[in-house]
Amino acid sequence: MYVGQPIRRREDFRFLTGRGTFVDDVQLTQPILHAAFVRSPHAHARIKAIRTDAARKMPGVHTVLTGADWLKAGYGEAEGVWPVNDRSGKPARTVNRPFICVDNMVRCVGEIVAMVVADDRHQALDACEAIEVDYEALPANVVTAKALDKGTPLVHPKFGTNEVLESYHGNPEVVEAGFKKAHHITKLEVPTNRVTASPIEPRAYMGHYDVMNDRYTVWTTAQAPHIVRQYFTKSLRIDEHKLRVIAPDVGGGFGMKLYHYPEEPLALWGAIVTEHPVKWTGTRSECLMGDTHARDHYTVGEMAFDKDGKILAMRFKTLAAFGAYESQWQASITNAYHFTMLSLAYDIPGIFTEVKGVYTNCTPVDAYRGAGRPETVYQVERLIENGAKEMGMDPFVLREKNAIRPEKIPYTTAIGITYDSGDPPELFRKMRVLAKYDALREEQKKLHAQGICMGIGICGFFDMAGAGPVKMMNDLGAKIGCYDVASVRVHPSGKVTVFAGSHSHGQAHATTWTQIAADRLGIDIEEIDLVEGDTDRVPFGIGTWGSRSLSTAGMAVVAACDRVIEKAKKLAAHMLECAPSDLVIENGQFIVKGTDKKIAFAEVTNAAYHSGDRPKGLEIGLEETAFYDPTDCTYPSAVHLCVVIVDPETGRVTLRDYFAVDDVGRVINPMVFEGQVHGGCAQGIGQALMEECAYDPSSGQYLSGTFMDYAIPHSTDIPSFGIESHTTLTPSNPLGAKGGGESGTIGAPACIANGVIDAIWHLGVRQISQPMTPKKIWHALQSAKAGR
Amino acid sequence: MYAFNYHRPSSIAEAVKLLKASSDGRCLAGGMSLIPTMKHRLASAADLIDLNGIRELAFIRREGDALVIGALARHVEIADSADVKKSIPALAALAASVGDPQVRNRGTFCGSLCFADPAADCPAGLVGLNGTVITDKRRIAADKFFNGLYETTLEKGEIVTGVSFPIPEKAGWAKFANLASRFAIAAVMVAKTGGGVRVAVTGAKASVFRVPEMEAALAKNFSAAALDGIKISPDGMNNDLHGDPDYRAHLVSVMAKRAVQAATA
Repeated sequence: MYVGQPIRRREDFRFLTGRGTFVDDVQLTQPILHAAFVRSPHAHARIKAIRTDAARKMPGVHTVLTGADWLKAGYGEAEGVWPVNDRSGKPARTVNRPFICVDNMVRCVGEIVAMVVADDRHQALDACEAIEVDYEALPANVVTAKALDKGTPLVHPKFGTNEVLESYHGNPEVVEAGFKKAHHITKLEVPTNRVTASPIEPRAYMGHYDVMNDRYTVWTTAQAPHIVRQYFTKSLRIDEHKLRVIAPDVGGGFGMKLYHYPEEPLALWGAIVTEHPVKWTGTRSECLMGDTHARDHYTVGEMAFDKDGKILAMRFKTLAAFGAYESQWQASITNAYHFTMLSLAYDIPGIFTEVKGVYTNCTPVDAYRGAGRPETVYQVERLIENGAKEMGMDPFVLREKNAIRPEKIPYTTAIGITYDSGDPPELFRKMRVLAKYDALREEQKKLHAQGICMGIGICGFFDMAGAGPVKMMNDLGAKIGCYDVASVRVHPSGKVTVFAGSHSHGQAHATTWTQIAADRLGIDIEEIDLVEGDTDRVPFGIGTWGSRSLSTAGMAVVAACDRVIEKAKKLAAHMLECAPSDLVIENGQFIVKGTDKKIAFAEVTNAAYHSGDRPKGLEIGLEETAFYDPTDCTYPSAVHLCVVIVDPETGRVTLRDYFAVDDVGRVINPMVFEGQVHGGCAQGIGQALMEECAYDPSSGQYLSGTFMDYAIPHSTDIPSFGIESHTTLTPSNPLGAKGGGESGTIGAPACIANGVIDAIWHLGVRQISQPMTPKKIWHALQSAKAGR
Repeated sequence: MYAFNYHRPSSIAEAVKLLKASSDGRCLAGGMSLIPTMKHRLASAADLIDLNGIRELAFIRREGDALVIGALARHVEIADSADVKKSIPALAALAASVGDPQVRNRGTFCGSLCFADPAADCPAGLVGLNGTVITDKRRIAADKFFNGLYETTLEKGEIVTGVSFPIPEKAGWAKFANLASRFAIAAVMVAKTGGGVRVAVTGAKASVFRVPEMEAALAKNFSAAALDGIKISPDGMNNDLHGDPDYRAHLVSVMAKRAVQAATA
């Protein structure tokens, strides 16, 4: 059996030796031209003139294109894959993110105003500097909490408001009743900071138009190549069969690489205009500014407890920033993944949430690892933590008391989502042992007596992973069918190529998908290769995001392998003169149960193509494709616990320990899964303690445009992790596997925030917004001191 | 990056000649500040004069009562040098706190002085330890070297060849690093030398500065407790995402105490 083994990642040899092939590495026989962009330095401005004459005459310049040229070409828009709808019945006020400024208005820093295509990057950048743009700067709106205030500048004046949509979810009557009979009510402002994914590989695109064959090719840093091809049918209006999209090695996506960014169609447009391949590789600054940002919710919440600490109800009001435009998957957050998971790991009778989407003069917001759920866990867990402390109860015990009992699962939350499997009390029990919780509390008392501010943070939650099913996701607003696909092509020699509609940009599918296939086919893993990321080779797939690949594409691999085996058994049975049901497959052989009669896998596969002697009606060949639509999402669950030390003199937080007990059902490769938890936690640590896409509130200037100001965790900021699993299988797929890609980013921000507050609660601090930077923590301590 | 001419002289004299001949020349040692700034198109040079071919500048040595560091000595070499650790451990600690391993492997102490970044660590090392900058034609005292934000008193065509430090009785380094850049939000070098006590702060204002009240208090009593009650004014302190003037003023006090503790540990 390969499944369940920590097999080394088959892709690592090329990555660790620096020999991957990323978009920027792709070489062609023709010379490649380079695109560079003139971007708005203003958060909000009217363009009065663009002068490009000087730039056109610069050395190496092939073309200069602006929004006027775009309009002339009659191109289209970046239409939503997951467009917003307004559940109150009003039309959502959608404005798609433009590729290039076409209406002489720029609405966020970094918006593209002009493109230069030149022989090399430096020439293209030189020419960009020679383009003169006259801007009339306008007042900007960059503070989410104030977006709907009177007098706030309007991003799109035609709507008369910055509100995009309004939606309500939950059972308000139960909530009302809960608050009425509450013994204790906790109220907090719980905003979630604006961050961005910052993958190691910046976005990059190369477009090529083959005039002779009237065929287009785009190499792209994408997570879902077929979706990219579909975007192009709307943007550059290219017929789907004419375009090949290749997503080669991609260095991290985290959801952020799902979108039809401006530079993607612009690079191909440049290629069409110049009849040369055109490439753009983003600089880190361009990416920090132009990659979709994430989170940025301004939320106020209240939680009602009874006298024993049972949570009766909670209610929230959220302003969810969209940025200046709607990015293509925005509503996967506001309309699908945010509110749905509010019950976390707890049995909470009453939940109500009001969400208003708002436009601001900032980079568009879209899904990033966790998409909506980090916000959800943070807003609920902060209330639980403070509620427990205000009531004088142990926060761990209070959580255990509210955890959903296993006998109540399947459990339908007050929001209406049904958790199909899991055992939260067991996760808490395992965590208590793993982290030595009781000893930690003892240690905390001692350290506090010595003036050392040690804190313990806790959180517990369910995740919604594995989108689809198609129908359920359609109902939640998706315009794409959330199935996935795999083809298993068995070659005559018995070697196998698997083609999957998923895309690995760090997930190690070349290892895990072949582990699954090797077990299913009963052959050695070295005899199987995986192909992903090429729309000319792989059937139409939906790609990798939302911790979905295993429970969709992975299950399609299972289904396609099973079909291959079913057919191969018919042939093998014919060759061995037995019934197919008499056969078992082991170590590359079909064996007649209970006998020594057997035949090699490769002999059967050869016969499948080359032998005329086969059962009546059995088609030649051995290749199967399965489109897999799961019966449900998957609902992984987890409990996280951390230990922090806060230096009260400087406000600096040291993360001493981090523990996670996860239930992700069947684990294909425990090493790969642990890597997912580590990486997710690192990004969650960043969100909690240091990452922030910051805008100057008065000028709208973007302040975190380089890694000198945008802080991501260094390896030295990350502790060793203590990780354990508790496995309950989901009934929604044949392997019982749930998604494991997002637990870290979902849990860590809340967990760490609770730890920091726990460390300095005795000094009077009750809440600090994230990121909990040393500066903010120090100021909070000063305010608490002044207030005492 | 804008186009430039690249030169790699093999002697100081040749480098000086190239620098003087250029309308807009800059010297390159480690390049850990200059190159990223050029890549961002925030700096440019008609001529880039790479000093890395002048091997005589790559040294760290004791010269009598002084520790002398050549213009090509990398941070990592200073941090690991037995001579430095023995004579001025605080300087080794400072070098070990610069940037990250990649920066320390390439970047140089003297290059950092010449770049005069307000948040760089090395300026506080120079001023706190009362070092002397050695150029191709003169010696410049620490207190006369910096001239505000990114400015020094070097003349056109003058090349720093090294820096010399007297050996202090005691010295201590404490740094509070920016989580993003790992530059100093506030960092302090404290030294007790034959010529008195010096307290130099970097990261907090437009340029490195000394704190006379602290120096006076420490001259009487070289202990962290001697700094109790000395208020640092937030006036003139930098204000950015990572620290406002009040916070920085507070950090100067905290880091000064920790530097004294390090010096007396």
